[in-house]
Amino acid sequence: MPAVLTVDPRSGVPIYLQIIEQIKRSVALGVLQAGEQLPTVKQLAIDLTVNPNTVARAYRELEREQVIETAPGRGSFVRANGVTESPKVAAEIGRDALDVALREAKSVGLTPEDVRNLFDAALARWFGDL
Amino acid sequence: MNYVEWLRVRNCLRIVAIILAILVVLAVILRISLARQLSPEGWVAQMTTDPRTKVTHSVLADGTKRTVVDDVPERTRVVIDDRGAAGKHIVITEPSSHSHNESYSHVGNILSSRTYGGVKTTVIDTNGSVPLLYYMAFADIMGLIVATILAAPFAREIDGHLEISLTKPCPRERFALGTMAVDAVGILVSSLLTIVALYLCQLLFETWRLDFSGENARGIVMGAALPVAWYALLCAGTTWLCRGYGAVLGFAWPVAIVIAALTQLEPSNTVALVVRDAAWVLSRLDPLTYVKLGGMSSATNDTYGGMGFGLRLSIEVLLLVVYGALAVWQWRRVEA
Amino acid sequence: MSIVTISNLRKVYGPVAAVDGLSLEVPAASVYGLLGPNGAGKTTTFKCMLGLARPTSGEILYDGKPLVPATLERIAYVPERSVLYEWMTVEEHLEMNRRAFRAFRPARALELLASFNVDKRRRARVLSKGMKTAVMVALAFAQEAEILVLDEPTGGLDPINQRHVLTLMINEAAKGNTVIFSSHQIGQVERAAEQIAVMDHGRLVLQGLVDDLKGDRKIVEGIFPDVTFSLDGIANDSRVARIDRTERIVRLLVTSGADEIASRLGSAGATGIRVLDLNLEDIFMYAVAPQDATTDIVTKESSS
Repeated sequence: MPAVLTVDPRSGVPIYLQIIEQIKRSVALGVLQAGEQLPTVKQLAIDLTVNPNTVARAYRELEREQVIETAPGRGSFVRANGVTESPKVAAEIGRDALDVALREAKSVGLTPEDVRNLFDAALARWFGDL
Repeated sequence: MNYVEWLRVRNCLRIVAIILAILVVLAVILRISLARQLSPEGWVAQMTTDPRTKVTHSVLADGTKRTVVDDVPERTRVVIDDRGAAGKHIVITEPSSHSHNESYSHVGNILSSRTYGGVKTTVIDTNGSVPLLYYMAFADIMGLIVATILAAPFAREIDGHLEISLTKPCPRERFALGTMAVDAVGILVSSLLTIVALYLCQLLFETWRLDFSGENARGIVMGAALPVAWYALLCAGTTWLCRGYGAVLGFAWPVAIVIAALTQLEPSNTVALVVRDAAWVLSRLDPLTYVKLGGMSSATNDTYGGMGFGLRLSIEVLLLVVYGALAVWQWRRVEA
Repeated sequence: MSIVTISNLRKVYGPVAAVDGLSLEVPAASVYGLLGPNGAGKTTTFKCMLGLARPTSGEILYDGKPLVPATLERIAYVPERSVLYEWMTVEEHLEMNRRAFRAFRPARALELLASFNVDKRRRARVLSKGMKTAVMVALAFAQEAEILVLDEPTGGLDPINQRHVLTLMINEAAKGNTVIFSSHQIGQVERAAEQIAVMDHGRLVLQGLVDDLKGDRKIVEGIFPDVTFSLDGIANDSRVARIDRTERIVRLLVTSGADEIASRLGSAGATGIRVLDLNLEDIFMYAVAPQDATTDIVTKESSS
């Protein structure tokens, strides 16, 4: 599992957010199965060479968003209904990506019509044979 | 807490021990090469064990043990009076035609020889025990040298190691006193080693007895105080420095000697008078001033410049304590 | 809950105030990074913390109490430059610490030395700069101290050993100890520190949690149609820490509320509005750069 997680401290995105995003991504892609145990806070901190409290904060947030659950003394696990959550998580990721794209498009002055044309072209490129 | 200083002392003592060992080895070599020239005790002892000679022992009224060795065929007679700690009085009567002609040039032996009517009479007085005072001079010099080598421990710490020495969980005063105590022990041990080495050399050539009485005892006590007081002076003078302490240590001896010399100036004019008086005042601060140097010849004179031994020793110890306290006080105020 | 509290620390050397009114609190069981340009006063602050220098005014408290010799039992220190005794071997330094600190574990020190590839029998004088740093790090981390004060603990180390020191620091935090360190390698600070303080010219110019600083601080960039424009009171917003303008381009450094200020900028007539993320290096550079300098700091498009 650690092999899937990488963090870029030089990025402007706080490390705990990066960890959250990557764990969600792993759940969405099925890399992390329901009920699978996550590394301990200390272990992940050492693997990633980041502050343990940063990892702890990420885990707390994931727990709050009900992606994982922590059993005291036993560790942190992917929630059972996380499996049914994965389409939801995927949708979140997709929506965030579109927000970024549209904001950028708007900032350079494209109209909704321009955007739709560009979008159709992009769809064809990426999902061409579907 | 003072492990580092202990290592320094140990390294220094190693070198001292090597030097003294070389000295003893040289003495042994010398002794072996002179072995052919036997001391009177040597060939007298030989005579005593020779079965041809007649040996008589007796004890005189004052407790002196008298041994008479008669070699009748050789017409040689040796009378040995053993006075214990006062040494031996030996009278040798032998025909001048074939007498022993060793050179009895031992320190402390008084030798007189007379030839009259074909008989050579030799009288030898071994002075008995060697006054320890003779050794104290060398022990003091070694002590002063080692004191100068070990001095300025605080300046050495200031020169780039304060982050270690000041962050130990130990009050600064305790650290400073501990450091100086370790160095003082090193100085005294080096003096002791010197005495031991000289004693070993004595054993090769002389009687094994040592004289600790009177002046010798005073010499020992002063000899312990002097190098440590000198060390304390150097510490007090260098703790506030970090780079230039080497210069202070190097100049200390010559400056002390110059000041001592200037106190002997003839006040031929005002300048000389002022210089002499100033030098006199400065010399009061010098531990070396209170020690009788070169006083080995006078056996009972224990005054110097009008001061009795007790006073001199007290001032010496006072200087030791004051300089030590100055060094500790400076160490307390040091900042990295 | 602060294990170290610095209040109005001032340290003056002659006419220069190396530290001028510094106040900060270090929470227990955390990693606290101290950043600043050369000469900002970081090393002086550490020296005052350890009793190596006497503060001109102000105080430093450990668990609410001033520093006494016994407190040093609980503090391990790695200075910025090598303070090893050149004539002693590494082993002798170990023995020195073993006798001085009750909790010192020689076995741990030997392990650490081996991990840094340092031969314990060598004399300090023949060690390279990096090895000397490694020895000081090994001695400090083997002390089992509650508080570790590290001044540039990776000086002279190759990247592998630098990462090794970082891991050691993170381990200490996980064990519940407190690490206070300074480094010019912002990447290291970004990884290991939970909280940072930035000093400049003896004063504190910025402090906070790294995650929060990166999350809240943004650059809001906008392009105005012509050179004359008014920012309509945006400049008076307390959340705008800094304004840089080059001809028609305006960049605002905001401490929070970036999206809101972005839309206000749009209302003021700007186009091409972007909100850019800042990493710790950017945040640091902005914190210590003079107000009137035009910055050529590279920033990344915000993805949040």
